[in-house]
Amino acid sequence: MNDEREFRIPVGPQHPALKEPAGFSLALKGEKILGAEIRLGYNHRGIEKGCEGRSYIQALYLVERICGICSHSHATVFAQTVEEIAGVEVPARAKYLRVIVGELERIHSHLLWLGVAGHEIGFDTLLMYTWRDREVVMDLLAEISGNRVNYGMNTIGGVRRDISPELAAKILSGMDVIEERTKYYLEVAAEEETLKDRLAGVGVVPRDVAEELGAVGPTARASGVARDIRKDDPYAAYGDLSFEVVTDDHCDVYGRTVVRIKEVLEACRIIRRALKELPDGPLAVRAPRKIPAGEAVGRYEAPRGELLHYIRADGTEKPDRVKVRTPTLANIQSVKYMLRDRFLADMPIVVAAIDPCFSCTDRTVELREGRHTRVQTWEEMRLAGIEWYRRLGVDFEPASRKLARRIDG
Amino acid sequence: MGIGRRIMTWARLKSPWVIHFNTGACNACDIEIVASLTPRYDLERFGILLKGTPRHADILLCSGPVSRQVEDRLVRIYEQMTAPKFVVAVGTCACSGGVFAGCYNIKGGIDRVIPVNAYVPGCPASPKAIMDGVVKLLLSLEAAESACAGKERV
Amino acid sequence: MPEEKVRALLVSRLGVPPDAVRIARPRRVFAEVPQERLRKALEMLKNEEGFTHLVAITGLDERERFAAIYHLGKEGVVVSIRVPLARENPSVASVMDLFPSAELYEREMKDLVGIDVSGLPPGNRYPLPDDWPAEDHPLRKDWKPEKGGVDER
Repeated sequence: MNDEREFRIPVGPQHPALKEPAGFSLALKGEKILGAEIRLGYNHRGIEKGCEGRSYIQALYLVERICGICSHSHATVFAQTVEEIAGVEVPARAKYLRVIVGELERIHSHLLWLGVAGHEIGFDTLLMYTWRDREVVMDLLAEISGNRVNYGMNTIGGVRRDISPELAAKILSGMDVIEERTKYYLEVAAEEETLKDRLAGVGVVPRDVAEELGAVGPTARASGVARDIRKDDPYAAYGDLSFEVVTDDHCDVYGRTVVRIKEVLEACRIIRRALKELPDGPLAVRAPRKIPAGEAVGRYEAPRGELLHYIRADGTEKPDRVKVRTPTLANIQSVKYMLRDRFLADMPIVVAAIDPCFSCTDRTVELREGRHTRVQTWEEMRLAGIEWYRRLGVDFEPASRKLARRIDG
Repeated sequence: MGIGRRIMTWARLKSPWVIHFNTGACNACDIEIVASLTPRYDLERFGILLKGTPRHADILLCSGPVSRQVEDRLVRIYEQMTAPKFVVAVGTCACSGGVFAGCYNIKGGIDRVIPVNAYVPGCPASPKAIMDGVVKLLLSLEAAESACAGKERV
Repeated sequence: MPEEKVRALLVSRLGVPPDAVRIARPRRVFAEVPQERLRKALEMLKNEEGFTHLVAITGLDERERFAAIYHLGKEGVVVSIRVPLARENPSVASVMDLFPSAELYEREMKDLVGIDVSGLPPGNRYPLPDDWPAEDHPLRKDWKPEKGGVDER
């Protein structure tokens, strides 16, 4: 393999009364991180087992709630995988509608991430603006589906909701707004030296390492790995729609930021195209309640990267096995790599930059140096990082004022 | 209720400090809580401030169906808040376990672990619903305070 | 066609019976490989056919026996190699040295299905909490939440 030091802290069973297990455990030398151990599982909810006890439709609603940001991703890939086992051909209109909602989800997710990234580095103005813009998309999603999240768009065999010409017109206007605003964020990313100071050269993963560690999504694409399930392994209507895969060569957090911003712009284009080419026809076909014995692997390019569902059916109304592999899990090894030999102050943004699907903010971080251990909350880490960089001259006040002037005029 | 308590209640009503804790949720409700603080909904105009530590908080906004890993931490956070303290269960999972009810590793519903004062259902609970729930809680405190004050004058 | 090349590799070079390899549709190959040939199969697919991406590992309880499925990816093609395992004390060797990303997938299989993985470095379990009983594997078919316990409804 490689000759990097592998760092592991054996953490044995802990008595709950003593201390909760830290989400992150870092070995330090002064301000430098020697190695990192990451502990997941806080929101393990037994969903795979839960699916086994539910009908396919019930399981569809359960998997939709695996993640509150990419709910449509999980629901769609689940439906697709079951449809493949059952040999059900989803109508063309449904495929396009799945794409439109999926790309709207990508926009809201990336704008959310941009805001979170801003917050992690002390650029709160970015949080306020991106989340304000995001509301445009939340409104559209709520109008299409009746909910801001968990759209319930899918059924086994197609979709449950349609987009009328009036709603299509609203979506197009919304895309104009998103596109205009997002171009400002691209300008900020390109021009603001403070942003580059904070993000460039941070969380570096060279291209070959990204491939070896199995990185996915914007994290991989920012290292020049042109991996995108929509292109490589097309599903829904992506095989018929023309679009670009966004990559970047910076291999760092800055690159991951640029990739996501550009993907928002590309998503606007995809949505416009999909609405223009939206075929007529039924929204769904009838699928059997009992799915014939078989298995399938479904893949989907969620906002965070490749999402995989493996499902095995046994001829009954309930799935025999549902396996979910989220993109965050695929990117964790890369995070461990990124944190080594980095400054402690970078830890919050490096972790945030893979857009992790776990609740960062109530993770505690255990910092070990020699025999000393101290525990900090994520919030303390974030503030310490902002302060460390402020002392180095990185201050987002001027950038905030410029952004405000540009957007609000 | 003595004058000291009345001032404290007034201060709490006018500017309640809130702490947010996720007990193993999918993050949808957590995002809607944060969204309540962004310009469109702007919870801060009600004087509601999000704080990082339980010791300064009056209200705990709690999401999620309580996974085993965080149950003890949830209890500890509640214990660290000084009385009077109030808990708002945000989202259907926090109210009852929601769609995860019956899944292993899930306790289901915040009120299985700590007392809850207000339930805000929704999957997720929208920012408007969250604000509605918090404001209703504050109004009920105000009503309780007036009732106490009324009794004392007798 | 990459799917056919995979079939040829498995059948001719590894001696897997032809009916143990199924091309389900474009970009999807499923194959059953005996445990003693798993390592070789993964090495060959990675080093000779370019399947350098370990997409996921699925552990499952098939009632009469256990199984582990290694899903390898290359440019949109997924090859799922299923390895049947013994009913008693199912165990596989870690493939972390071939695919670093295997670690979490193997820990998950170990925790949830109870398929032992030898050769894993010391580290946190995933995804179950520390105080979860070591002999309880929730994804086993015979496992149900305890009555009267915290999971009882």
